[in-house]
Amino acid sequence: MSSHEEMRLKLVLAASGALSPEEGRQVEQHAQECVSCRRELEVWGFYTRGLGALPQPALPLGLVARTQSRILRERTAAADRRRQALLLGGLAVFSWFVNLALWSVARLLTGGTFEVFGMNLVSAVSWFLVYSTLALFTAGVSAAMLSRHALRRF
Amino acid sequence: MILAATMSPDELSAADDAIGRLKKGDLDALSVVMAEYQHRLYRFLYRLAQDPALADDLFQQTWIRVIERIGRYDGRRPFAPWLFSVARNLAIDTLRKRQLSSLDAVEEGGVAPVELLAANERDPLEQLLEFERSATLAAALQGLPVIHREVLALRFEEEMKLEEISEVIDVPRSTVKSRLLRALESLRGRLQ
Repeated sequence: MSSHEEMRLKLVLAASGALSPEEGRQVEQHAQECVSCRRELEVWGFYTRGLGALPQPALPLGLVARTQSRILRERTAAADRRRQALLLGGLAVFSWFVNLALWSVARLLTGGTFEVFGMNLVSAVSWFLVYSTLALFTAGVSAAMLSRHALRRF
Repeated sequence: MILAATMSPDELSAADDAIGRLKKGDLDALSVVMAEYQHRLYRFLYRLAQDPALADDLFQQTWIRVIERIGRYDGRRPFAPWLFSVARNLAIDTLRKRQLSSLDAVEEGGVAPVELLAANERDPLEQLLEFERSATLAAALQGLPVIHREVLALRFEEEMKLEEISEVIDVPRSTVKSRLLRALESLRGRLQ
């Protein structure tokens, strides 16, 4: 790229105020000596000034108020979600605690063996299998009930 | 350009104070911060989205995101680039999802309804000619890809420095420079 071509690229940046003061001075000096570059700089200046004076979009009426009420709604919904997550977490911990306590009591009362259809119900595997099935079923029913309740609120 | 240039030091410190309070979780400060940046932010989003309804939605989403992420904002740095960066990322994601605008393809667009902020007292004919020139420029701007529209809007309407633009669009300063160059050349090409 010749120095003149390079200068023509710099003219765009000079009109955009995107050059360092030193580069800006160089461009200005060159434009004083070169008629075509001076003319080019004027044209770019026309564009950049025009871009700074474009017709302005008007802020829609009530947009700020709508934004503020949406923020409040979102915050309330987020607080509800946090509360529900905490409640569910607490319930899960509590249910596992109850489960462990019941298992210990059952093993104590049965002496570690309570067979039904050839399966020892108080062994660790079968106890937790039965418990997990029951827990999953209960969670599914609870989720369905909660979502129906939430839908009714809307 | 409109607000930043006309802000008094008192208004600036009130806005800074409100941003500080917002950072501490005081939601009442939001209205002060919004009042400070609402016009600039909407204008920027409007230039990117080119659709008043989408700009409206992005404006709301931006402030929701600001509330969620205000803790990550470094109070020692200027607020505007951070705010515009949040808005820009949301706009780009939304435009990608909606496939309304390709990031590297030139798109066509019509002239959207616009209105002047304030009338001045010059010759009506001169005003009309200037309005026509501005409208032509605005129409040509709409035909540019979003990566060009954003640098032009940030540089000439928001009057941001190259460093600030670089922060908003998350690219090196040299890339901002080359995008600015290409955007202006492309704009001129459309008008010739």
